[in-house]
Amino acid sequence: MSNSKFYNAIFAAGITLILACLMIGIKLDNEGAQLAVKGATAEQWGWIGLGIAIVFFSQLFSSQIDAMFGKIPKPNLGAMLPEERKMATLKPWLIAAVVVIMLIWPFMVSRGSVDLATLTLIYIMLGLGLNIVVGLAGLLDLGFVAFYAVGAYTYALLSEYFGLSFWACLPISAGMAALFGFILGFPVLRLRGDYLAIVTLGFGEIIRILLNNWSAVTGGPSGISGIAKPTLFGLEFTRRAKEEGNVPFHEFLGIDYSSSYKVIFLYLIAVLLVLFVIYVINRLMRMPIGRAWEALRDDEIACRSLGLNRTAIKLSAFTLGASTAGFAGSFFAARQGFISPESFIFIESAIILAIVVLGGMGSQVGVILAAIVMTILPELAREFSEYRMLLFGLLMVLMMRWRPEGLVPMKRPHLELKQ
Amino acid sequence: MKKITKKLMTLSTAIALAGAVSAANAETLKIGLAGPATGPVAQYGDMQKIGVMAAIEDINKAGGINGMQLEGVIYDDACDPKQAVAVANKIVNDGIQHVVGHLCSSSTEPATDIYEEEGVLMITAASTSPSITEKGLQLVFRTIGLDSLQGTLAADYIINKEKPARIAVVHDKQQYGEGLATTVKGQLEAAGMKPAMFEGVTPGDKDFSALIAKLKKNNIDFVYYGGYHPELGLILRQSKEKGFGAQFMGPEGIVNADLAKIAGEASEGVLATAPKSFDQNPVNQARVDAIKAKGEDPTGPFVFTAYAAVQVMADSIKATGETDPFKLADHIRETSFDTSIGKVKYDAKGDLTESTFLVYELHKDGSKTPAK
Amino acid sequence: MSELSLYLLQQLINGLTIGSTYALIAIGYTMVYGIIGMINFAHGEIYMIGSYVTFIVIAGLMGMGLVSLPVILIIALVVAVVIASTYGWTVERVAYRPLRGSNRLIPLISAIGMSIFLQNFVVLSQGSRDVALPPQVTGGWNFGDPSVFEVSISYMQLLIWAATLITMIGLTLFISRSRMGRACRACSEDLGMTNLLGIDTNRIIALTFIIGAALAAIAGLLLSLYYGVVNPFVGFIAGLKAFTAAVLGGIGSIPGAMLGGLILGVTEAMTAAFFPSEYKDVVAFSLLVLILLFRPSGLLGKPEVEKV
Repeated sequence: MSNSKFYNAIFAAGITLILACLMIGIKLDNEGAQLAVKGATAEQWGWIGLGIAIVFFSQLFSSQIDAMFGKIPKPNLGAMLPEERKMATLKPWLIAAVVVIMLIWPFMVSRGSVDLATLTLIYIMLGLGLNIVVGLAGLLDLGFVAFYAVGAYTYALLSEYFGLSFWACLPISAGMAALFGFILGFPVLRLRGDYLAIVTLGFGEIIRILLNNWSAVTGGPSGISGIAKPTLFGLEFTRRAKEEGNVPFHEFLGIDYSSSYKVIFLYLIAVLLVLFVIYVINRLMRMPIGRAWEALRDDEIACRSLGLNRTAIKLSAFTLGASTAGFAGSFFAARQGFISPESFIFIESAIILAIVVLGGMGSQVGVILAAIVMTILPELAREFSEYRMLLFGLLMVLMMRWRPEGLVPMKRPHLELKQ
Repeated sequence: MKKITKKLMTLSTAIALAGAVSAANAETLKIGLAGPATGPVAQYGDMQKIGVMAAIEDINKAGGINGMQLEGVIYDDACDPKQAVAVANKIVNDGIQHVVGHLCSSSTEPATDIYEEEGVLMITAASTSPSITEKGLQLVFRTIGLDSLQGTLAADYIINKEKPARIAVVHDKQQYGEGLATTVKGQLEAAGMKPAMFEGVTPGDKDFSALIAKLKKNNIDFVYYGGYHPELGLILRQSKEKGFGAQFMGPEGIVNADLAKIAGEASEGVLATAPKSFDQNPVNQARVDAIKAKGEDPTGPFVFTAYAAVQVMADSIKATGETDPFKLADHIRETSFDTSIGKVKYDAKGDLTESTFLVYELHKDGSKTPAK
Repeated sequence: MSELSLYLLQQLINGLTIGSTYALIAIGYTMVYGIIGMINFAHGEIYMIGSYVTFIVIAGLMGMGLVSLPVILIIALVVAVVIASTYGWTVERVAYRPLRGSNRLIPLISAIGMSIFLQNFVVLSQGSRDVALPPQVTGGWNFGDPSVFEVSISYMQLLIWAATLITMIGLTLFISRSRMGRACRACSEDLGMTNLLGIDTNRIIALTFIIGAALAAIAGLLLSLYYGVVNPFVGFIAGLKAFTAAVLGGIGSIPGAMLGGLILGVTEAMTAAFFPSEYKDVVAFSLLVLILLFRPSGLLGKPEVEKV
């Protein structure tokens, strides 16, 4: 143990003390008539002391700890897959099994779990949409949530003002979001890299603020409530039929009303939508347009010299990503029954982006896995109640350090020249 | 296969953990308390909590209802409509059927849809927006008057007592604030006093200097603000700094000691409409003392409306011997209740047949006195 | 002067005040971007921490019976700068340095995670409610005909201008004259080359984070005194605005950040002056989009050269 190590540890402990001292050690007290401060309790100081000790010793023995962690093998999810030839025969079976399980599963668990699974499926849809833009086409989009909002509000407004059904609005929402993607994409796609990111961020904010301010139509910050739920060929999943002439599902079948039918029904719609999205994107990726996205991401100048139309390719990726978000948005509005601009803040964009990056940029399986991780983690962390978001932020940092290449990095079948 | 199984296992264990619902105890009846425990208007959530907890304690001390002890379960919606929906779903998932809340009208409105559909009895002690009960909901009640009453009272006061030359009506664009502002504006126009300005501000904004300069330019001498105290506090504070000295007035959403903390001297003399100070009522003396003994503040406008909400629930459970929300709702519509806010009777919509707001004058030490 | 020109003057004064604080925060974004090409999303939270430290120190000193306002403010300034810089340095050390050299999206996600972490750290340690401090610097200076329109500048606004001006001059001198400043400029020209020339670039990057955090802390002090209210969520909005300002002026350019901040502040004030004030943010962001469309690298930014 060298001397410098010791000084380093002292230094780190000192920094921790400074960091903790004012923010945890002294608390602003707003209870009385005047602003005052009060010191932390002895117990809190104990925790601060413990934290400092941990930092001190972890720095002091950092090389030993690193060595220990180095011995733990990193789980390589990619390597767990069977080899390619076997995979080809197994794949249809696997997919069938997953689909069947996903369809049966909701009937066996609690209502809350199904609800959470539906939310996860929405994030999967969003992740897959953004994956086209960021993962495949390499366009950094920080305002993806704007298209999600467009989809959600399209359905909510059409249903509120014109009484259109969910099924009619689903393609309209996707189309509307695609239109917004097109309108935004056309001028801004010539911007490069981070500037594009910032313009999309600005666009996301503009949409949110407009929704907030245009109270006459969108209800402003109070949002739109009482959005109609999807129906099954005209059967409603409510206790009493909302519209004249409609029959609630339970009356039609002559069973007792239970609110979990509705939850399961929504879940099944979500499964259907996700499967549809996965299928479409999978096909697209194998088409010339999909190859062009990736080629453009890897080398823009080379693509242009090969005669590819840069704008058309970027625009197609942007528009398709947006329409997926519109899809997810209209389903979100239907599931929630209520939307407000607060649902479409920047942090949502950030979480979707985190899903794509964590999933491994371009890999569909990775994105699905990451979406599950990112939605279930905060729910699991509910046990830690108020520490929930703190842990979530910390995990985002740690995951980036631990697996910067993502959970399942994208793999294309390729040949390597062995030397 | 491994990967898929693994994925499924992770998913299902995670979900099973997350969805773990605490089983309801037969001996206790859980009452959900939904309101802001965090966020900019959490002070009002505190008032509601103080009232509900005091009521539950008193009822339990008196032996509970029909042998059941009450237990308050607190849910935090931060007065954000989105979180309110999540909270309402969580309450349903947790199997709770009786809720006091929500607090902000914009949170209450979306939550009522869920409660109505899932069969949860809800009594709000603070949401004053008329549109909440306009949908003809069966299970939604309140123990506070409507904005239409409050707005009319404010407009009457402006027209008859203040008689300002140039009025501005400012609001925070939320359901509660904008609703009130629109009512006041309509009443003023009907009386031939058209406001010179009608404008929204963004909730959470900190810089109102541009708005104040505009008010000053329009020679405004009276401002009605529809919204909550954080924004009004900053407007008052910056007005004083910029030498803009109009009279301000607001609804009960600004009646809070924090207004004085933010605005300092500038909060002296601000007018506000608020429910009657039930803590002054001799009926509540013992309750006020008990709350004070716990080191809590019984003077907030929502403390005793929340207390009354629990009383209405408890009394009807006691009278009907049932906990079924639909039967309770029928009972609540039929009878009248003796509560901390006086005699309470409901109309078919679930609103109070009688309720009183008064105009108060706020002071820089955070207290309030009835206005002349 | 006519009423309109006095009114415009008043709005200009308001806009410059808010703009100068945007500029202070924007410099942190722009310096970090100029050197390592990453958007430091946690920067707004550093500003928020600076505001909290200011409140804690002021409340603490007043509780101890200290009455001299200038002394209190100077102590608050020093403590806020030290603490915020420590946070800035630590964030860089923990969340960004280990990721250097990876795909540029990785540090971005890490920064967003850090921002969520810091925000909730303050929620847990200081509570999520608004904390209010009564006005400390009161009074002001009025001119113009009271019967037409009276323009007022509060002493607090003057203090903000003065502090921003001094800080900016100090920073410019530091960057253009000192050895460290030269190293900073070298790093933003070419990080790899600077490293080859024997300059410890890691130290320079850390220094950039410290400077940025210190400026954010100064902005935190000024704004928390000006508004008198702080909560754990102020960092996000302020960060977003300042970031917009940095991009507006040309990200990577320090004079650009200053200019961008002022332009953004004045635009907001002028929008609020003639339109409903709720639309000022829309106008601010639309301005950003427009400027980027016509000058893709911002007002004072260097145009990006495409290299094969």
